[in-house]
Amino acid sequence: MTNNRRIVDHPVLGKLSDRKEITFTYDGQTYTGYEGDTIASALLANGVRTLRVHEESGKPRGIYCNIGHCFECRVTVNNETGVRACLTEIKDQMVVESGRVLPSPLASTEHDTLPRTYAEFVKQQEEEKGEV
Amino acid sequence: MYDVIIVGAGPAGLSAAITCREWDLHVLVIDEFVKPGGRLLGQLHEEPNGEWWNGIEETKQLMDKAESLNTDIRCGISAHHLEKVKDHHFIVHTNKGNFEAKNLLIATGAAETAAPVPGWTLPGVMSIGAAQVMTNVHRVRVGEKGIVIGVNVLSAAIARELQLAGVNLHSMMLPAMNSVTKEHAHPKKVMDGLSRIAHLAPSAFLRFGSRFTKSDFVRKLATQFYPKSGVKMWGMPIHLRKAVTEINGKDRVESVTVFDITADGKLIKGTERRIEVDFVCIAGGLYPLAELAAVIGLPFQYLEELGGHVPVHNKKMETPIDGVYVAGNITGIESAKVARAQGTVAGLSIAKKHVDGKADLDYRLLKAIEQVKTIRNEATIQFHPHISEGREKIEQAFRRIVHS
Amino acid sequence: MDHITICRCEEVTLEDIKNTAKKYQCSAREIKLRTRAGMGYCGGRTCRPAVDAVMEQVTGEKPGHDIPLKVQPPVRPVSLATLRGMQDDK
Repeated sequence: MTNNRRIVDHPVLGKLSDRKEITFTYDGQTYTGYEGDTIASALLANGVRTLRVHEESGKPRGIYCNIGHCFECRVTVNNETGVRACLTEIKDQMVVESGRVLPSPLASTEHDTLPRTYAEFVKQQEEEKGEV
Repeated sequence: MYDVIIVGAGPAGLSAAITCREWDLHVLVIDEFVKPGGRLLGQLHEEPNGEWWNGIEETKQLMDKAESLNTDIRCGISAHHLEKVKDHHFIVHTNKGNFEAKNLLIATGAAETAAPVPGWTLPGVMSIGAAQVMTNVHRVRVGEKGIVIGVNVLSAAIARELQLAGVNLHSMMLPAMNSVTKEHAHPKKVMDGLSRIAHLAPSAFLRFGSRFTKSDFVRKLATQFYPKSGVKMWGMPIHLRKAVTEINGKDRVESVTVFDITADGKLIKGTERRIEVDFVCIAGGLYPLAELAAVIGLPFQYLEELGGHVPVHNKKMETPIDGVYVAGNITGIESAKVARAQGTVAGLSIAKKHVDGKADLDYRLLKAIEQVKTIRNEATIQFHPHISEGREKIEQAFRRIVHS
Repeated sequence: MDHITICRCEEVTLEDIKNTAKKYQCSAREIKLRTRAGMGYCGGRTCRPAVDAVMEQVTGEKPGHDIPLKVQPPVRPVSLATLRGMQDDK
């Protein structure tokens, strides 16, 4: 499968020679990448940018540093959690899943206002004092 | 037990490994990336003499040499702790088990400094280094149209690489000023940095700037009269008087909000506009990645000239802990050529301890140290104007600590 | 502008850090403990220089020669299996 997100010709680095295709799944959908691709590069080449959502807020995240420093791209690979997509080569039949929101004891529709951090807790306390 | 374990297979680590193997030491090199080369892999720029500095080729040469010497280089291994058991007995803790060695060389390179802009957690926003690796190493386009936030030596060089690969960049501009972006958001300070790479850019305006950078007055003037349309470098506008205040989008980058700014970096009201982009590269520069040096207990110095906190070391790449060596960007932000030369120095320093009766080694070590200086002075890309002063300060710190 | 996330792992904003620093006039280390900035998955590798920059502006705490936030092993998250000395079976 060719795809225009691949930089096949490069004026200095030359043309990419034929590489072996590899099939893997991401969140149940099948994708194709090339041998030597990382999970991150194969998914980006397929137009997939979101690799996980923040465990608490659910905000989407994708690659940030692409060399293993920031851990933003962590995904689940063959049931192993916390795997960095940018440092892991895709293998045939690999099962990759995105990071999801984790259940939180504080998460409840009635207690949306509970503080997440100590800073928020202090702020809320002060606001309450102000109201009294 | 290995004679030496080298953490990091970038230019410093690889050249050190080659030198150690030349003296027949038992060497293991580990790196957490999928292939060796470190940040060198992504590098690609044209030297003033018209030749290309091609990081992939440079890495290949180092690897060919290392392989011809049967060097054990393993990728995909992350070190999470370095431990000293006793003199000349260290343990490297990794995700693939523990390894023991008589000597350690920490060559972990640099990490990128963030220049946070509202919206920078959206998918499609990445560090400029991330885009470099995606483009030159993985050969995947990071998007259809993008913008670079942060104008400095590194980002200008990488922006050029993206262009070469046919990636469409709208422009480069500054991050809006906040408590974190400060220097990166101040047009005059950015101008100082730009003028240091002027020789790489066919731009009369920048050349003009560079010739007079010593004069504060002229620098101010150049910033004051910086063209509204930006200065074009390789056909792409670089704006010092525009700043990105926000990156917008629901689940991914859709646009950026841009304001004109004063010569002091203040937003000018009523100049707000949106530019549609689908990716954003953030460039805040590099800092030495020294966490493994910290956990083994090396002392540090904070030296702005070298890019931040660097482990104390001397010209021979020795540290105050006998048997622990450092080389490459962990010792200060400089070019890959300097890192490679430092690796040779470290390799010779390690070899000197383990090979008896080779007076020749002392001479080679001295020559290698000289070579580092020569390469530093001839550097095409200079990350800080006072690198040499920084190097002198760290040398003095080493002497102070070792002699006290 | 203060709503910018500084620590991406723990989603701590510039506002959180500034207000905490102002209120307690505290060290970078105390900021970390009070706000969780730098305590997330990446161990502060991404936000540490940014937190230091905010501290310098608010409390005047300039980076000294010691690293402001002590670096503790492990510097990468490791599984208990790895710590126990087992090899990954990948």
